[in-house]
Amino acid sequence: MLQTAMNWLDERLDLTDIKAFVKEKGVPLHTQEVWYYLGGLTLFLFAVQIFTGILLLLYYRPSAAEAYESVQFIVTKVPFGWLIRNIHSWSANLLIAVAFAHFFSVFLLKSYRKPRELTWVSGMLLLFLMLGFGFSGYLLPWNELSFFATKVGTGIAGAVPVVGHFMLRLLRGGDDVTGATLSRFYGLHVAVLPAIATALVGLHLLFVQRQGMSVPMKIERRVNAGEPLREMPFFPNYILRDVLAWYVALALLAALALFYPWELGTKADPFAAVPPGIRPEWYFLAMFHTLKLLPSHIWIFEGERVGVIAFGLAAAFLVFVPFLDRKASRGERSPVFTIAAVAGLVYLVVFTIIGHVAK
Amino acid sequence: MLQNSWLLVVLALAVTAAPAAAQPSSEPNSCATCHASLPDQRLSTPAKTFTGPDIHREKGFQCIDCHGGNPATADKAKSHDFSGRESAMAFRGKPTGATIIATCARCHSDAELMRTYAPKQRVDQATEYATSVHGKRLDAGDRNVATCASCHGAHGIRLVSDAKSPVFPTNVAATCARCHADAKRMADYKLPDGSPLPTHQLADYQKSVHYTALTKGNDLSAPTCNDCHGNHGAVPPGVGAIANVCGTCHAVFAQKFEGSVHQQIFDKGCVECHGNHAVLKPSDEMLGATGHAICATCHSGSDDKGAAGAEKMRGGIEHLKASVDRTGALLARIKNAGIEVSDDELALREARTKLTLARTEMHAANPPAVDAVLSDGEKIAAAVETSGQRGLGELSYRRRGLGVSLGAILIVIVGLALKLRQIDRRSHR
Repeated sequence: MLQTAMNWLDERLDLTDIKAFVKEKGVPLHTQEVWYYLGGLTLFLFAVQIFTGILLLLYYRPSAAEAYESVQFIVTKVPFGWLIRNIHSWSANLLIAVAFAHFFSVFLLKSYRKPRELTWVSGMLLLFLMLGFGFSGYLLPWNELSFFATKVGTGIAGAVPVVGHFMLRLLRGGDDVTGATLSRFYGLHVAVLPAIATALVGLHLLFVQRQGMSVPMKIERRVNAGEPLREMPFFPNYILRDVLAWYVALALLAALALFYPWELGTKADPFAAVPPGIRPEWYFLAMFHTLKLLPSHIWIFEGERVGVIAFGLAAAFLVFVPFLDRKASRGERSPVFTIAAVAGLVYLVVFTIIGHVAK
Repeated sequence: MLQNSWLLVVLALAVTAAPAAAQPSSEPNSCATCHASLPDQRLSTPAKTFTGPDIHREKGFQCIDCHGGNPATADKAKSHDFSGRESAMAFRGKPTGATIIATCARCHSDAELMRTYAPKQRVDQATEYATSVHGKRLDAGDRNVATCASCHGAHGIRLVSDAKSPVFPTNVAATCARCHADAKRMADYKLPDGSPLPTHQLADYQKSVHYTALTKGNDLSAPTCNDCHGNHGAVPPGVGAIANVCGTCHAVFAQKFEGSVHQQIFDKGCVECHGNHAVLKPSDEMLGATGHAICATCHSGSDDKGAAGAEKMRGGIEHLKASVDRTGALLARIKNAGIEVSDDELALREARTKLTLARTEMHAANPPAVDAVLSDGEKIAAAVETSGQRGLGELSYRRRGLGVSLGAILIVIVGLALKLRQIDRRSHR
């Protein structure tokens, strides 16, 4: 049956090149190959987000008056609405966790080195986009926690030098978080970010397919010395392993959705007092807590502004890592960048934990 | 027709000697200068205290406004001239007894003058005081009773709204207790029935729900001594007035009690069941005809209709309470498991309101009326419980569904793993 369909398509589209590519494509086999699956897992969770997001779109209403009620309707009245909403929320969090793991594995394995600089840059931009998805999606249920967290988050954007106030107003659609902010975040979340993300994902995958998987530098040196590189066929050996990992993720998502349902909380009230313990989603906690710890002034500069500039510089550094790490490009060891990656990982883990337990 | 002779003094002084609005003065004040350095503390303390926070000093009043005399001279004889020849105002010394009332009333009963400082402030304190037990006893020559200075202080007087004022709501009980908890001072006073005036009111009040609300709950509207007894016109509420006094805050309870059979029987109204100063937090245990129930004090025996009514009302309240608690626990359980229950929670809140209404209705001592309210509450609780049971069913359905899904996913995972093993083996060959 499948063969018949393939033949039918082949007859019309001439799939010879594609069939040859699929047949020839191999994935390197070595001790670090497990990290390859994180990319596929991120892609799977992104697909889950698109699928569940489209279903939520059918009922969600992006206005301050109706947003909360529409989500309440989804989780109480729509058949399996609770499951779709919980999976969307959990999948978003798992997606960012897996994307971070993918980022650190690539960073530590120096897979960004020549000729994969552009794969890294597109991946970094995708990571930032995922954080943007998380930030914009968090406000959409229009509950108390998300409302005030967005107020704090957009307030931080206001601390960016020169364009801060413009950015704050652009994000909020005014001076304060209102229904206008919700409309903007909704537009960003369901149109702008998905469009950019889809293009970038396509580009990222194209680069990966064109260049193949990177191998660790140690193995690359051995291969360069004439040692043969063991490989497994991409289809079906690797793709089936990927699918296996996706099924495990799906089982985990279903279990999390049932046993740890995402609370809806109480509806946002712009006139209510700020409730205690307002904090952003876990993936912004490290940054949030760092900004909290900064003194009001560092030398003659505003502490928060210095922090925001530092995070901006760190993000720029990450995007340009392949161009800065010249040693790795030459196939040499670059311990400074390894230390930077480990320090970044330790910083994120420690500050996220401290931010979580801090009152 | 004025009843009190000292009130005549007050009004006469108020009319003839009310000072013009005081202005801050930069002129030398020999009163403060000399008195502050005197070795006798009785004479130096007022001068020193008056330099601190004092609403009168802050508004520009000086020693002479109450004590008279001439502050412009350092000569003791001239500045303390009782004849008034050496100054615009004769020296009056330390006001005592009725003179204190007259001194304060010179300004505080002067509506025109007070309007320039505190337009909203009442000017009938002296008149009210004349109707109080304190005022009547003072008029009868008792110099031991409280006057203005006893509660407000003489020097260092703060606004009533100042938390450090002795008459700020949280301080009133302690201020009254300075005299009323002093057994020696109260020894000569008797209640109308001839029994000794008790001195445990503060101790009792400190056990009360009112004291807790005022001091621990920071609820400044919670009653303290003056809210029931009056402040300037302080008297014990008369027997017939108790329900009115309690009813100023507990209006619905007072209204229900007004229509009850007990209204005819209870001499002391609310106090009969709740006490006066030691008003404890009411509980359902107070209702009924057994155990610690207060009704049992009068109603007992199987042929007592009152006892049967009390037991019926208590039984109904306990039943609804149990229904609400049970349903609340069920909602909490399914809510924790991710079922949306906000509509049910709202309905259950309504059932709780019915419980409160039943407790209120109980004050009319009319079991059928209580039963009607309880019955409404039971209906709501039953509907919520049914909805909660549906939620439990939904939860169970979800768990079964998950079990089946996970089973299917597991089968696919195992199948994929077996297939992979087969493919790998083939590749190695």
